[in-house]
Formats: sequence, structure tokens, C-alpha cells
Amino acid sequence: MKKLDISKLDVLSLVRYDACTRCGECTATCPTGGEAQDVEAVTPRGKILRLKGYYRAQYGLRARLLGPRDISKEELHDFASRAYECTVCGQCKTVCPAHLDTIKMWENMREFLVANELGPLSAHADIVKSIVNYDNPWMQPKAQRSRWAKRIEKEVKVKDSLKERAEVLFFVGCTAAYDPNIRAMATDTARVLSSAKVDFGTLGNEEGCCGSTLLRTGLLDPARKTAERNIEMFEKASPSTILASCAGCFKTIRQDYPKIGKVSADVVHITDFVCDLVDSGKLKLDRRVEGAVTFHDPCHLGRHNNLYEEPRKILQSIPGLKVVEMERTREESRCCGAGGGVKTAFPDLASKIAAMRIDDAEKTGADILATSCPFCYQSLKAAIEAKRSRLRMVDLMELVRLSCAGQ
Amino acid sequence: MPSGRYLWHRNVLYIGLAAILVAFGIVIMLLPYDTVYVQERAYLQFFLVSIIICVWVFVIGSVYNALIWMHGRGLTGSPEGRLLRTTGKAFRFVFSKRFWKVLSVFLSEAFYLSKLKDRSYTRWLMHILILGGFALMFLLDIIVTISMDLLQYEPMIEESGWAKMWIRDFAFDFAGLMMLLGLCIAAIRRFVQRPKIIRTELPDAVSIIFLLVVVLGGFLLEGIGIAGSIPDHEINHEYSFVGYVFSLPFPASSGDFYDQAWLLHGIASALLIAYIPFSKLFHMIATPIVIEAERLLPAEVSS
Repeated sequence: MKKLDISKLDVLSLVRYDACTRCGECTATCPTGGEAQDVEAVTPRGKILRLKGYYRAQYGLRARLLGPRDISKEELHDFASRAYECTVCGQCKTVCPAHLDTIKMWENMREFLVANELGPLSAHADIVKSIVNYDNPWMQPKAQRSRWAKRIEKEVKVKDSLKERAEVLFFVGCTAAYDPNIRAMATDTARVLSSAKVDFGTLGNEEGCCGSTLLRTGLLDPARKTAERNIEMFEKASPSTILASCAGCFKTIRQDYPKIGKVSADVVHITDFVCDLVDSGKLKLDRRVEGAVTFHDPCHLGRHNNLYEEPRKILQSIPGLKVVEMERTREESRCCGAGGGVKTAFPDLASKIAAMRIDDAEKTGADILATSCPFCYQSLKAAIEAKRSRLRMVDLMELVRLSCAGQ
Repeated sequence: MPSGRYLWHRNVLYIGLAAILVAFGIVIMLLPYDTVYVQERAYLQFFLVSIIICVWVFVIGSVYNALIWMHGRGLTGSPEGRLLRTTGKAFRFVFSKRFWKVLSVFLSEAFYLSKLKDRSYTRWLMHILILGGFALMFLLDIIVTISMDLLQYEPMIEESGWAKMWIRDFAFDFAGLMMLLGLCIAAIRRFVQRPKIIRTELPDAVSIIFLLVVVLGGFLLEGIGIAGSIPDHEINHEYSFVGYVFSLPFPASSGDFYDQAWLLHGIASALLIAYIPFSKLFHMIATPIVIEAERLLPAEVSS
């Protein structure tokens, strides 16, 4: 009989499993278990009760007195698969009346699954292999990482922070660096920084994957290696600020890296940084951008990092733009469906959730849907195309670049 | 075979726990209970043995649950050693300069449930009535036991004493009524309205039914006492305003069964205590711990 190893579950997580009141508040708004599928086993309550049932059957008082109960491999694999259907969006944390930090619970649950050889799912294998071999999830050669900068090299000076110190280190992230459809996120960000005369640079081809995908799927050991390598680069570049335009990289570097090594610089998201530039008058947004825009809060930026006002302040500073809010916004924002490895392992589920978010955006009457995360951008853009929606998907920095062009 | 520090921690925990439980049992058996109005002393003895065993089960079950927590990552040593260390640290944390902060988080978020109030007023009302009633009754039980059986405080003992009327009659009925109303809302929600988010399985149903049996049993017992003019229930019925209503359908002869009803209510209450660590009701212990930890521990510790 295989006994589950619960030593990978945090002490506080184990207390959290007992603190769940089974009220079900989380089930109604859970994008994967509740709204998209209506499957209890995928909801936060379903996962909590199931895992608690398993470890209690092997570690509880009855198990001590009568012997532990065997849990079949099929049952455990089914549980793992259901657990990986979660986007780790954190909506359940927002609504939980028992104040459970479910984001930490799900991330920790995945570490537990990996430790018990139940995770990650086979669908994640290629991505993991790619990160380990190529240092990015897109199976692209490392030498191509800084290719995006070539497009703008005549107009923008992007320093190589490892050769020449720059105040700000722009951490581009794999998706903006490699995905041709998202590359504009990197070039727009660089143009905006240049417009504000920010002394910035990048790690060039030496920048590695932040490890977010590894961490979110529970692969702590390879993530640690990736993080250690990046931290070493950060310390070598010694910037005063590390700037991330990807919400996933931002969360990882800001929240997870300090558990692995010392990051001396301040870690800031581009929305926060640009908001300060606008507030201080260093960046003037004086060109009109016509349209009605609604902002989708990326989970890693909003619920995971409490950055809600900054992107809205930026949008409101752009002349001509009318900012309208979706019914579910800020802490209550619906997830785009791409996070937590769901887009890789369950693409149909991810598309279904993204389509619901597009419905939310359409209801506002906006013609532009803005966000500040490459994963949300990819996912929502695909849903817009699939639905043939009239919405135009933009990255927030594209709007900023349009408004400050010519500075 | 466990040895060294591992054995030491086990011995400290288990022998210490056993000593506390035995001491509790001795204190319970030695209290005079002069003011308990059951005619058959054997009933009283039976109840006392039941409550001692049930409290033991509660403590052992709770400690065992805590030992499961201690299997988790983040601490070193044997689960017993971790539990001893964590308990010591928790006490030092609570009884430090942070005491008032700990208390205010407990009162506003674990007890008053401010987050739930913002999301659903009905559920908040339901929960605050059950929890508030339960907490008030627990507090009153301690006050009454100390003032009657230890201090022999006359106004608490005499039938027309102010403390007897206001605390033993009115306040107990008030606390019971709070719980009853909360449980009625919970039962209607769970068994009649059945909103989609509710999942009713055996543990959910048992918890509500168990609490209802104890609360209704208490009022029925008081009703029988009043109807049968049992000592302690003879005058000033307006203070026992709920018990009086329950007494109306009972004939005076029902007082003949007062002792049996008293014992049944006592055993049901004791069993409820024993049931807590093995049920969803254990969240009443785990949830405040989580809330305090999330709010007060530094991020690196809580993660």
C-alpha cells in the first residue's frame, strides 16, 4: 500500500484544510469548477474535502487504531487531474469567509502532488522539458531571446545590463520575448521607458525563464535552479529596480524569489512604474486615443499582488479614452482561464473561461479590452477571434505608447 | 524504537496530557454539586463520568488533529516535539505586546465574521447567532459553576436571587434562543431552500441535528421543570421566557421524568463536545488559528 507523503504540505495548509467550513461560497464563483463545468471535484471545497479525506484515511485517529486505508492509484490520479484543472486565480481566496489563503493552498497542493508522483500532468511535460532545455516554455533557442529589441534598435537604446549598468532592469519574460503575436508588448514597453528617459537595460539572451510555470505546476526543484540563475544575473546587473511587464514573472520574482535567494533591487510591475512616471510628470500622455476601454485584471497582478488602481489611473490619464468597468472587476474579476497550467493541459476549458470573460467585456459596450499580462492577452485574444467579437485586444503599454508617441 | 529527544517529546506530551486530563476528572468529581436538583444522585454521577470521558475524547481528538498538522512542512523534529514547540511559541506570541492585536483580530474576524457579513447578511446572521449563543452559553456555564458550586454565591442559588433570575434563567434562555434561531435558519437553508452552493452530506446534517437536539433538549428540560414545579423552576417564570413557552404543553406530572430528561440532555451535550474534533465543527478551533496566522504572522512564516 502506498502511503501519501504529507510532509510536503505546509503546516499552515494542513490547518487550513481543517478550517474549511464546507460553506461552498467558493464553488459559485470558481471559474473552472463552478462556472465553466459545474463539477464539485474541481471546486476549492471539492479539492479540500477530497485531499483531507485521503490523508485522514491514512494519518487520522481511525487509521492509527484500525490501520491506514489504501487509496487506489486511479482515484489519486483522478484527484490530481482535477486539482490541475484549477487556474489558481485566487477568486476563492477573495470570497472565503474563513480567510483561507487558497492561493498558497493550491500551489502547495501541487508540490504535494509532485512529491507523491501524481503531478505534473503528462500534458505539462513538453513545457517543463522546454524550460529545462531551452530556458523558455516555447522551445525557442536562447540566442533568439533578445531578437525583439532589434526591431526598435534605431529608435530606442536598450542597454545590456550585464555589460553596462542601468538603473532599471527590464525583465522581458519568455512570452513577450518569443511569441511573435505578443512581441509588441516588449517593444511598446521599451518605447514607453525610452519616452520617459528611463535608464534601462535587459539581460539580453542571458535572461532565463522566471520559473513561474514550474512553480505553478508544483515543480519546486527545477524552479529553484531557474530562480537561482536569474537571481545571480540580477545581482550581477545590480539595478535599483527590476521591472516586469508580465504579471506572472512579476509575481514570481517578487513573491517567490525572496524565498530562494536575496534580490537586492525593488521588484515593480510596469503598471506601477508607469503610473509613477505619469504622476511625477516624467511621462506625458498627451495624444488622444479614441475609444471606450475596459480593463481585465490579471489574477497575478490583482488578487495575487493587490495592484488594481495603477492600471486604471494610467487609462484615465490617456486623453480620449473612456474607461468602463466590467461587472466583475478588481478582486471579483473573472479569470482569463489560462493560468496554473490549465491552457496547456485543458485548452478547451481555458477557452470556455476566456469566452465568459469576453462576454463580460462585451456587456460594458467597450470597444477595447486592455490587460497587462501576456497570458491573459493570448487567451482573451484567441477568445475574441473565436467569438468574432468586435472587441480589440490590447496590452496596456500599447495604449500608453500611442498616447506618448513623439515625446 | 523511538529514542533520545523524540522519546522525550513524546513522554512530555503524552504524560503531560494524561496528567491534565486526570486532574480535570478529579476536579469534576470532587465539586460538591449541592445545587443540582436531580433527585437520583446516580444520575448525576453517570453524567459526570460521561462528561469527563467526552472531554477526554475531545482533547485527545483535538491533539491528534494538531499532530496531523505537525506532519507538514515548515518545522523540524518529531510531530510531538513540533507540537510542544509550536504551542509554546503560540502562547508567547499571544501573551506578548501583540495581545491586543491578537484579540482584536479574533473578535472582529473570527468571532464577528466581518468578511462574511460583507458577503451574505443571512449567513452571517445565522452563524453569529449559533456561535454567539454557543460562546455565551459556555461563558455562563463557567460563571454559574464557579459562583454556585465553588463560591456558594447566594443570589445565584436562591430562587428569587437577582443572579439566578438574570443569569441562570434569562441569560441562558437568551443564549439558547440565539442558537435555536441560528440553527433554524441553517436547517431551512440546508434542507428547504437548498441553494446550489450547499452540499449536504452526513457530517453536515449530523452537525446541525446534533446541535438542534442539544438546544431543543435544553428548552424541553426547562419546560418539564417548570411544568412539574421542580425546585429551581417554581417561580419567576417570566425570566425563563423560552422555557416557559415550552412548558405549556406539558402536564404537571411530566416533572416525574425530570431526572431522566436531565440526564439525556447532559449526555447529548457531552457527546456533542466529544464529536467536535471528528466533525466539521472542528473549524471552530482551526479557523481562528488560520485567521490569526494569516493576519499576524510575517508572510515568510505563513508561507
